[in-house]
Amino acid sequence: MFRRLPETASDSAEVTLWVDGEPRQVGATLSVAAALLQQHGWAEYRLHHDGTPRAPLCMMGVCHDCLITIDGEPNRQGCLVIVKDGMRIETQMPAAQPTPGASTG
Amino acid sequence: MSENSTSSQVAEVAIIGAGPSGLAAATRLAKAGLKPVVFDLNAAPGGQVYRQVESPQADLRVTGIDYRLGQRVVEAFRRARVDYRPDSRVWWVQRVDAGFELGVLHEGRSAVWRARRLILCHGAMERPFPFPGWQLPGVMTAGAAQVLLKQGGLLPEDAPILVGSGPLIYLLGWQYLQAGRPPTCILDLTPRHQWRLPLRQPVKAWHARGYLFKGLKMMLALKRAGVAIERDIDALEAIGDKVLEQIRYRQRGHWKQRPASLLLSHVGVVPETHLTRSLGLTHRWHAEQQSFLPVRDDTLSADENLWVVGDGAAIGGAVNAMREGTLSALEVIASHHGLTKEERDERDGLRRERARDLCARQLLDAMFLPPLNIDAMPEETIICRCEALTRGDLDQAISDGAEGPNQLKAFTRCGMGPCQGRQCSLNATLLLSRRLAQTPDQIGQWQIRPPVQTITLGELATSSMVENRAT
Repeated sequence: MFRRLPETASDSAEVTLWVDGEPRQVGATLSVAAALLQQHGWAEYRLHHDGTPRAPLCMMGVCHDCLITIDGEPNRQGCLVIVKDGMRIETQMPAAQPTPGASTG
Repeated sequence: MSENSTSSQVAEVAIIGAGPSGLAAATRLAKAGLKPVVFDLNAAPGGQVYRQVESPQADLRVTGIDYRLGQRVVEAFRRARVDYRPDSRVWWVQRVDAGFELGVLHEGRSAVWRARRLILCHGAMERPFPFPGWQLPGVMTAGAAQVLLKQGGLLPEDAPILVGSGPLIYLLGWQYLQAGRPPTCILDLTPRHQWRLPLRQPVKAWHARGYLFKGLKMMLALKRAGVAIERDIDALEAIGDKVLEQIRYRQRGHWKQRPASLLLSHVGVVPETHLTRSLGLTHRWHAEQQSFLPVRDDTLSADENLWVVGDGAAIGGAVNAMREGTLSALEVIASHHGLTKEERDERDGLRRERARDLCARQLLDAMFLPPLNIDAMPEETIICRCEALTRGDLDQAISDGAEGPNQLKAFTRCGMGPCQGRQCSLNATLLLSRRLAQTPDQIGQWQIRPPVQTITLGELATSSMVENRAT
């Protein structure tokens, strides 16, 4: 897990993110992947197609190991999307994934 | 601003990337009255090195004084008359008669842009560093840790272990120390004799003195704080069931083990060559930088009306990238309406400074040559993370007759996953080079075709390129 520095240099506004249905307060400047690493950690971030767990490696748009479901759309690059208030995030673990075609609203 | 018209939008000069080189190029062009269009993948200007510089989340005491330079550069860019388009992915570029055509994805819609002149400022990526277990959650790059620090003031909850070679390892260790959370140890993979190079190359060392003293200061601060710096390591493994639990390393012939929850690795940076390769530019293997670089002439041009500058062309650091950005802008101004006497002097001065800095860079390249070669890694080491292909899988395909990168790709799917080969291309070529006893230039790299950035079928359907082609 990561945690925030005790005092930050400028504004530390927060937004609410829904992670696998749970509300989480996160810093408004973070990417989705960064928010997950802070609030959720790197365990159970994503299951790769070979059945092994994966989590973000590079955080700058190269590795594609941060793929995550954002507002119902799977396989988004979590490190390139900045959090927005009310955003719904699903970690891509089989148990947490919405059934295909099911309403996500 | 960004209406999705079926006809293409037009730019006199387009710049891809808003890191140090892109910001400098755009600001200098604007000063000369040319209004460039700047496309950037990120939401705010600054690139990786000056990420989040407009609303810093960590104190300068932690991020370091160099960050302040980024603030000034971004401020100048914001004041300049520039058509800045953040959150814009350039997912294909091609040459057309009058210049270039670009496919730009923004908020789920793709638009076609035409540009007469193009400056590529797309930057570098961390050199992929495969070792057994590097795919485990809990192994990240030092660059990723810096992104978290800059973007949100985020620090590891438990002290991490840092491993690799090069200045960024010590910079990150020092930043964590300043923030009150030093790493437990640093595994420095740089061979000892490479640390002695500055003594044998005094002229280069003099030009590199700024870098060397900064590194020394950080190293001493870490030692004084009790951070163990381990050397003479020639093998490394990350171990864990679902997440990282332990690391093992071989030091002077003995295996050692340490518990670890977070391992941050780094073995330098290399140019990101997807755009330049997709444009069909010639790339040559650069032995000192151990990477492929697009071939440029003295004016930093790689082709007619095309410039490639900054760390996307060759690694030179942020200050050099800004110089090259300004130089490319001056070349554009020269071809547009000629240079004044002052502008020629500015160009000549920048060229001299660049030559001095590149002299220093040669020493840094030699000191921090990437350690632990790919063919020395155990066969279970994953090379292509997306397709989960190991060194053994690739070796099997090579002995089955894969004679080059395109064949290796066709035989194994290496490089065909979502990252489009960014994490494996260089290592696949190096493995082929060693096994087939040919130079990396003889082996080459597999072909890159658009899309060069991830795009969904839905987004593709909005593309005005598709509509244009249909008519």
